[in-house]
Amino acid sequence: MSSSVDNRRPDNGSRRDNGPDMRRVLYRETHSTRAAVSVAAAALVLVLAAYGVLESGVHAVGQPAWLIEPQVAAQRIVDLPAGITPLLLAAIGGVLAMLGLIFLLNGLLPGKRARHLLAGAGVEGLPVVVDDEVIASSLARRARLAANVTPEQVMVVVSQRQVLVNVRPTSGIPVDQDRVLDAVRDELDHMLLEPAPVPRVIVAPSGVIGA
Amino acid sequence: MNSTPALLNRILLTVLGLLLLGSGLLLVMLATVPAVAPWWHSWSAAAWAGITELFSSTRFPGGPESWLWIVMALALLALMGLMVAWIAQQGKGRSNLLAAEYDPGEAPGDVRIGGGVAEQALKQALEGRPDLAGATITTYSVKGSPALKVRLLPRQGVAPHLLAAEVSELIRALESVVGKEIPVLIHIGAGARTRFGRAERVR
Repeated sequence: MSSSVDNRRPDNGSRRDNGPDMRRVLYRETHSTRAAVSVAAAALVLVLAAYGVLESGVHAVGQPAWLIEPQVAAQRIVDLPAGITPLLLAAIGGVLAMLGLIFLLNGLLPGKRARHLLAGAGVEGLPVVVDDEVIASSLARRARLAANVTPEQVMVVVSQRQVLVNVRPTSGIPVDQDRVLDAVRDELDHMLLEPAPVPRVIVAPSGVIGA
Repeated sequence: MNSTPALLNRILLTVLGLLLLGSGLLLVMLATVPAVAPWWHSWSAAAWAGITELFSSTRFPGGPESWLWIVMALALLALMGLMVAWIAQQGKGRSNLLAAEYDPGEAPGDVRIGGGVAEQALKQALEGRPDLAGATITTYSVKGSPALKVRLLPRQGVAPHLLAAEVSELIRALESVVGKEIPVLIHIGAGARTRFGRAERVR
């Protein structure tokens, strides 16, 4: 199955040669955006720079400083850790480091969204992106029909490389694990997800009464 | 699908993060590790002496202040401008044009088809479907060429590949009306409306 997905990969973006780079668009859709964090970071730098402009401008025309003379501030920084309680200094440093860590991780982590590409949509191969939640609810419906249980007895978790189907059988009526697995696998084969997840079915040892 | 500068965002966030993390860690070290203080004093005092030297050597002729202050203010203003430009780049890319072609017919001029045509036509076609809780169609301009994004919100239990295949048919019909191949991205998503709505029973 994975080989058929691999074969399909190259023609995902090449169907329309005149259009934009679909591969890039698909990357955008399956990875989270940093727009909000970027705006926050830019706003932070903007505020600091605005203060710097104010102080240096005031200084350039020979007026008294607004909050603190730049030279005094610099001298205080040079004199650290003297002139401030260690606890406060450590707290400020901790907050700064925390903020920096948030920005850094946002910049470096891959930031994959819980989405899959769908290669099995018709013949012409329009690029389709599906939220994992939608895949899960579709698989849950299929598994529920195969196991002949109510919707509340099936729980499906879809992650990047794995599909986990939890079935709680009705008490006294056994659930055929292989039948459920075959049904889920059949549905996945029709979807041709990319990356292709591996399905796993877990039938709970205890049943539900009165379902 | 919009033209948010993804790589630039990552680079700038990483640089800013490193700077903040470094200065924060330095402050924590200064407060907690006594051995760091002498090193910091020697390093920062030397740097500060160099800067004061620079400032005193660049005074206005006849004045007490250095013209470096003006340079600094201008540089910071430029930085502010860059930051505003960075913010303005986020999330851009929506457009209102689906197709623009030169018309070789008798009437002079071009033919332009607005994005509203596709949006209204697809909305209309998808409206009565029982398996959809909602649909939004937006026109984007990806690197100058128009593209459509179709966002579908199916009810619970709908098979996404069948839905996508049917919507692909609709889009092909739209293309034959417009007379041009439009790059389309279909996004089948989940939201609050699908989560709490009734499940799709019959398909």
